Amino acid sequence: MNSDVHATGGCQCGAIRYAISAPFENPHICHCRMCQKAFGNYFAALVGTKKTGLAWTAGTPTFFRSSSIVARGFCRDCGTPLTFAYDHSDRIAVSIGSLDHPEMVMPAVQFGIEGRLPAFSLLHSLPGTRTEDDIPADMLEKLKSLQHPDRD
Amino acid sequence: MDIMVKIPFRRPARSGGCQCGAVRFSIAGGLGKAGICHCRMCQKAFGNFGAALVSVVASELHWTRGAAAEFRSSSIVARGFCAACGTPLYMREDGDPNYEVAIGALDDPNGIGPMSEQFGVESKADWFDGLRDLPHQKTGDYRSEGDMQKLRSFQHPDEDTEHWP
Repeated sequence: MNSDVHATGGCQCGAIRYAISAPFENPHICHCRMCQKAFGNYFAALVGTKKTGLAWTAGTPTFFRSSSIVARGFCRDCGTPLTFAYDHSDRIAVSIGSLDHPEMVMPAVQFGIEGRLPAFSLLHSLPGTRTEDDIPADMLEKLKSLQHPDRD
Repeated sequence: MDIMVKIPFRRPARSGGCQCGAVRFSIAGGLGKAGICHCRMCQKAFGNFGAALVSVVASELHWTRGAAAEFRSSSIVARGFCAACGTPLYMREDGDPNYEVAIGALDDPNGIGPMSEQFGVESKADWFDGLRDLPHQKTGDYRSEGDMQKLRSFQHPDEDTEHWP
């Protein structure tokens, strides 16, 4: 593998894997309604890099053209949203959650603020529980993750 | 004559679907508990810091166009998504009477009740709570005029359609 690779990632099922060798740029979240619906979520969390600095190391994403100027990549086997790119740009953004180490990337700005949902600003104040506390013991015993590990 | 006309109680129908519109659903009943899950499974499935989910009674969720594809992310959970555009649509534990529906896939994501809980906090990003304080811009602030002129959305509208696209 290219020795400049500083980050890897992929979809949940592992059919698609990627490696990034160009620096990260413009880490952000986007609240616009397009990103909300594409990600099924309050916002999209994305970090950019050069298109030439992103290599697909297993499989290739499927692309949906969400508008006349943008293509969004995802895994057709498990649905994980993977990329966002403007046609005219030499940059591409990957979804931060699809990185093997999403904690490496800290967003610096919020885009699409016109779509920001009122609930978003309250999320930090909600009570929290750990996953193992929410799953009954008998279910926990049966639980076997089929998610690809957070490494190649 | 009885002037009290009995009107059958109608619960609000809610609708939603994926970005491309190949999969659409309606919810006949009310929405249950809403929250956000930070667990690493939801992070990777949603490509995000966490998944915003709301409970819906399974018998009240109806597919009105197409059908979701499913990926079994573990031995006890299936996750639904659109195979044509990737939008994550739900997760469901085996035997659970409810779907946990992706809030962003609802046509009116503001229409949920109050959020009640954060799950999977063992994987919560350290800076998640600070996201709301980051500087912010409207979409129109950073798209070039040329882009805005060329821009034509292919996203399904936030309402049901007779024909699409």
